[in-house]
Amino acid sequence: MRSGELREPGMCRGWEARVPDTPATAPRRFLTLGLAAFAICFLAGCSGGISESVSTAAKDSSSAVATARLALKQDMDGKLTRAATATTLDDAQKEVETSRSTVQKLSPATPADRDTQRQALDVLDRCAAGFFTARAAVSADDGGAAPSTADGDRALAAAQDALEQLSHMVGSR
Amino acid sequence: MTSPGLVPLPPVPGRILDAQLHLLDRQVLDHDGVPVTTVDDLELSGPDIGAEIPQGTPAPVLDALLTGPVLGTRIFGGRPPQSRLIRIPWKDVADVGVVVRLGVGGEGLDASWVERWVRDRIIARIPGGRHDPR
Amino acid sequence: MKRLLGVALGVLTAIGGFVDIGDLVTNAVVGSRFGLSLVWVVGVGVLGICLFANMSGRVAAASGRATFEVIRERLGPRAGLANLSASFLINLMTVTAEIGGVALALQLASSVHYLLWIPVAAVAVWLVIWRVKFSIMENVTGLLGLTLIVFAVALFLLKPDWGVLAGQALAPAVPAEETAPTYWYFAIALFGAAMTPYEVFFFSSGAVEEGWTVKDLVQSRINVLVGFPLGGLLSVAIAGCAAVVLLPAGISVTSLSQVILPVAEGAGKLGLAFVLVGVVAATFGAALETTLSSGYTLAQFFGWSWGKFRRPAQAARFHLAMIICMLVGIGVLATGVDPVLVTEYSVVFSAIALPLTYLPILIVSNDPQYMGKHVNGRAVNVLAMVYLVIILVASVAAIPLMIVTGAGA
Repeated sequence: MRSGELREPGMCRGWEARVPDTPATAPRRFLTLGLAAFAICFLAGCSGGISESVSTAAKDSSSAVATARLALKQDMDGKLTRAATATTLDDAQKEVETSRSTVQKLSPATPADRDTQRQALDVLDRCAAGFFTARAAVSADDGGAAPSTADGDRALAAAQDALEQLSHMVGSR
Repeated sequence: MTSPGLVPLPPVPGRILDAQLHLLDRQVLDHDGVPVTTVDDLELSGPDIGAEIPQGTPAPVLDALLTGPVLGTRIFGGRPPQSRLIRIPWKDVADVGVVVRLGVGGEGLDASWVERWVRDRIIARIPGGRHDPR
Repeated sequence: MKRLLGVALGVLTAIGGFVDIGDLVTNAVVGSRFGLSLVWVVGVGVLGICLFANMSGRVAAASGRATFEVIRERLGPRAGLANLSASFLINLMTVTAEIGGVALALQLASSVHYLLWIPVAAVAVWLVIWRVKFSIMENVTGLLGLTLIVFAVALFLLKPDWGVLAGQALAPAVPAEETAPTYWYFAIALFGAAMTPYEVFFFSSGAVEEGWTVKDLVQSRINVLVGFPLGGLLSVAIAGCAAVVLLPAGISVTSLSQVILPVAEGAGKLGLAFVLVGVVAATFGAALETTLSSGYTLAQFFGWSWGKFRRPAQAARFHLAMIICMLVGIGVLATGVDPVLVTEYSVVFSAIALPLTYLPILIVSNDPQYMGKHVNGRAVNVLAMVYLVIILVASVAAIPLMIVTGAGA
């Protein structure tokens, strides 16, 4: 004899006895609705064209470059240890690389879009070069052939300007 | 409360327990107060479900507390074969309150074999496994 | 005097133990993108966790049973299993995030790559769970976590425009660069970060571990009502630092290194040292708590013998379960997934799972069979009902908002 046959008192156990009686179609219906909503939102996102993706990439990279510049400035002021500066630069560089690969994977439809993609990749490459300089400055502070932190900061500042121009250009399209 | 045709409940000495409310899903402690398991299901002797019950059949008797994989069949349905059930015989139960207390130690019970296995094969082999933290 | 010291210790431990990687990351992200316009959510969350923790502590002290033990007895195995599955998975996600957080903080301190720190962190967490006494573990990590006060110190040293900050906090509005759905998505994330579900399981099981009786309820109430709000102020300080340094620079937080830059800006290398100790202590303590919570929930549902007060040999399945959880956490982190990303998702999923943990505690703390005369008072029940509505709304709105905003991008 199965124990569930007993009719039992008590508020919550009563719920427990009733809950399994809900029809099995209810969760399935909810699932299809959820999937439909998800598909609609996904498609809505897809149809934005590449300006939106390039704009997001520019914004993320701009944030990363600003982070790197702040870290370098703090390093020069003696507020940040080398280890922390190096880690911050690495994290920021990774973000720029992610943005770059996102832009690279876009499939532009029109010549204007292709132009935007090319310009964006150009700017992001300059960012990567700026990071290379900054990283070299931080990892070897013998002051010899290695670039100085100030050089690194200058390279990143130029990259930041280029990113701003890119954002304006994409925003105006 | 009694439906027509049923013999009224004879007066019984002792406590009256509701199996689902007082026994099922309760913690089982051994006589030292160490947790053994929870009661996942109950084994009753008596007629099978769906079989005709002739007049004068004695009432089903609680044989054992069940634990282990039987929880899966309790929640999702089905019935494990009799030989696979992990039982705590009812005669080992000393007291039923907020928890079910056994009159025996947990060491010899079928129900604690997984605990013993994990202890002997894995935990006791790691250094410090038998160290008392107090 | 000794009594006073005991009270002070309890309060200080509660403050230091309040912040975990979810609070650190979410508050910094919110501060860097929304300024202080979401501070009100921290207030709502802190009040909620005080209510929660109070109830679960009372359940444990009055009935001698931890919350999850009672969930199965009171709600039945089906509801208990649903609760267990959801809580356990989210707990696992949080364990992963916390161990990742320890590794990231150690990387900032040493510039050794964080993937190399992950096994070190996990083994250290396991050793403490294996050998160290419960009260020592709690007190040490809680007190070391107090060094996160450096966020508040740095905020003062940065000499911000307090008027502007107060204006953002007291008259909340969606900033120009962000949209309303993103605002509400992060409100839910912040709520989930403040009202972490594992805290409740840990708090009530910890009460049983330390053998709390009704006499200890007063101490527990002081710890909660004084310690948690002060811990909430720490969260606000984290957001404030981000708002003052990162928001004007156009930096939106995506990594732990950005979280600590404002402290270095305000307090230099000394501040940096303090904040790194604080982050390691807070995330390490939280890793301990979440790992123990996974063990507690499994053991209490299945009726295993559990507790750090027992020899590991006497709670074998409990310890094995925790070892497996940590191995899974290491495995997930070893795939190279960003721990900060895991953290951001774990706080939102915590918010989604809140009704599952909240409702059983509310039901049990009203049950005279377990609580005796310590059932919820009228005022507590009214407040609890209000929070039930808030929690349900947040839980239901989380997934649609996540889809619409692309998880806050």
